[in-house]
Amino acid sequence: MNTFLILLPLILTILFSLITVPVLVWMERRVAALIQDRLGPNRCNIKGIRLGGLVQSVADMMKLVQKEEFLPSHIKNKFYHIIAPSIAFMSAFLTFMVIPYADNIKIESTTYYMQALPIDLGVLWFLAFAGLGVYGIILGGWASHSKYSLIGSIRAAAQVIGYEVAMGLSLVSILITYGTISLNEMVIYQTQNFFYIPAWGIFIQPLASLIFVVTAFAETNRAPFDAAEGESEIVAGYHTEYGAMKFGLYFVAEYIAMAASGALIVTMLLGGYQLPYLNTQDLINNFDLILWILIILTIVMSFLFIGWIRSHNILVLNGLNETKLYTSFILIFSTFFVILMSYYSFGYGGANDIGVMILQFVIFTLKLFVLHFVFIWVRWTLPRFRYDQTQKLGWNILLPLSLFNIFITAIVVVGVNYGS
Amino acid sequence: MGVKVVKRYGDTFKEKIYISAIFGGMKTTFKHFIKNLSDASNIHTLSYPEELPKDITPQYHGVHRLTHRKDDNSIACVACFMCATACPAECIEIVAQERDDDVDEKMPAIFNIDLLECIFCAYCVEACPCDAIRMDTGIFSLIGNKREDFVYNKEKLLSLKGISQEEYSLAK
Repeated sequence: MNTFLILLPLILTILFSLITVPVLVWMERRVAALIQDRLGPNRCNIKGIRLGGLVQSVADMMKLVQKEEFLPSHIKNKFYHIIAPSIAFMSAFLTFMVIPYADNIKIESTTYYMQALPIDLGVLWFLAFAGLGVYGIILGGWASHSKYSLIGSIRAAAQVIGYEVAMGLSLVSILITYGTISLNEMVIYQTQNFFYIPAWGIFIQPLASLIFVVTAFAETNRAPFDAAEGESEIVAGYHTEYGAMKFGLYFVAEYIAMAASGALIVTMLLGGYQLPYLNTQDLINNFDLILWILIILTIVMSFLFIGWIRSHNILVLNGLNETKLYTSFILIFSTFFVILMSYYSFGYGGANDIGVMILQFVIFTLKLFVLHFVFIWVRWTLPRFRYDQTQKLGWNILLPLSLFNIFITAIVVVGVNYGS
Repeated sequence: MGVKVVKRYGDTFKEKIYISAIFGGMKTTFKHFIKNLSDASNIHTLSYPEELPKDITPQYHGVHRLTHRKDDNSIACVACFMCATACPAECIEIVAQERDDDVDEKMPAIFNIDLLECIFCAYCVEACPCDAIRMDTGIFSLIGNKREDFVYNKEKLLSLKGISQEEYSLAK
C-alpha cells in the first residue's frame, strides 16, 4: 500500500501525458468536426466497435510507428536531427511531474504527496521545461537544414522569447497574491473564499490570468500562435523534414505540452483539485453526503448518456451491435460504482481520506478536460496571428500590461497586509 | 460627384482590444458545437457508400448512353462522326457500317468510349444531330478492375437507361 501510494503520482503522470494523447487527438478531430458541421472520424473499427472514433487515433499512431524511418540525405547533423524531437517530447513529458493531482494524504503519520516530484519549486520547474520544449523545436528546425524549417524554428524562438517574459511577469503577480511558489500550497490557498466567491486565481487575478492563458497558448505553439508551423506559408515549419515516428514525437509532444499547460492553468487559476467552497477537511468529514450526491449523479448521467448514444448512432456498421454493447457496459459500470459507493456511504468502510483523494483526482481530471476543450475550441475559432502581430501583441501589449499588473498587485497586497 | 465615406472599423478601443470579438467568435462556434452534439441529424454529411446522393438530375454529366429510335427500337446513331470530331479528349472510336434495313443509311459497327480518357464535358451530346448520345444516366461512380473495363462498347452503351423523362431519341 505504501509503495503503491508513492508510485501512484508517477503512474498518473505517465497516464496523463501518454494515454491522454489519443484521447486528445480524438477530441480535437471530433470537436473540430462538430464546430464545422461535420461528423468527424466514424469509420475506423475493430469488429464494428468504434468507440465514437477513438480507434482512429490509435490506428494513426500505429501507422506512424510502422512507417519507414527516412532521413533526407542533405542533413549533415544527423545526431541533432534525431535528438530534437526527443527533447521536445521529453521536456513536455517532464513538465507534468510537478502537478498535484490531489491533496497530500496522511496515513499512519506518514504524509504521501500526490505530486510525482514533490518539490516546492513547481512553477519554476514548469517554466524551465516549457522553455526547453521550444529548444527541441529550434534544434529540429536548424538541424533539418531547410529554409522552411529554419524560418519556422526562428519564429518559434522569437515568439518564445517574447512570450516567456510576459508569462514570467504575469506569474510574478500571481505568486505575490498567493505568497508561495509551491503548487500544492497554491491550491490550498484557492480553497478560501473572497467575498463569497471562491478565491480562484481567475477571480482574484483576472488580468494576470488572461495574460497567462494567452502566453500558455503561445508557449505550446497552439493556434492562434502556431506561426512556427504555418502550413500556409512555410510548408510545415519546423517539422518539414521529419517523417514517421520522428514526426510522431513532435505531434505527441504538442499534445502533451498542451495537457501540461492545461494542468498548470487548472492548478494555478482554476482551484486545482478542489471544489469551490469545500476544502479537503470538509470533504473528509461529509464524505457520506458527497457519496449520496455522487450516486444520484451517476444514475442520472448514465441514463442520459445511454439515451444520447441510442439516438446518435447514425451510421451502423457490420459487426457487433455497438448500441447494445455500450448500453450494457455503462449499466454494468454504473451499477458497480453505485454498489461500491453505497457500501461506503452506509459507513461500512472507513477509508474516507482515500475516497476523497480519488474524488479530488476525478475533479482535477474533469477540470483538465474542460480546459483541453477550451484549447481545441480556441484553435478552431480563431485564425492564425500574422507573425508581426504576434510579436506586437507580446512586446507592446502583454509585457506592459503584466508589468502594470505587478505594481497594482504589489500595492494592494502591501496595503492589505499593512491594514491587518 | 459626391464623396462616399466608407466607415472604417477597428479604431475604437473596444475593437482594438479584440477581447469582445474573440468571445463573439467563440460563442458562434460553441453554438454550432452544442447544436450538432445535441442533434446529429443537423449535420448534412452523407455517409457515402451506404447513403447515396439524392440530387443527381438528368442535367448531371454522368456516363454516356446511346439512345434507341422510338419506331423500331433500333440504334439512333447514324455514324456521322460529329461527336468524335467534337471530342476534345479524343476518346470516342467509331467504325461506320452500311445499314440494310431501310431505316437509315449508316450505323456504327463499333462505338467505343474510353471513359478513362473522357473528361465528361458533354460536347459530344451537344454535337449530336440525332440525339443519339446522351449523358443522362446519372451514373457518377465508375468501378472496374482493369483498364479494359472502362472502355464501354456499343452494346453496353445501348443497354444503359437514362433517368430523364425521354427515353427514346427525339430526332425526327
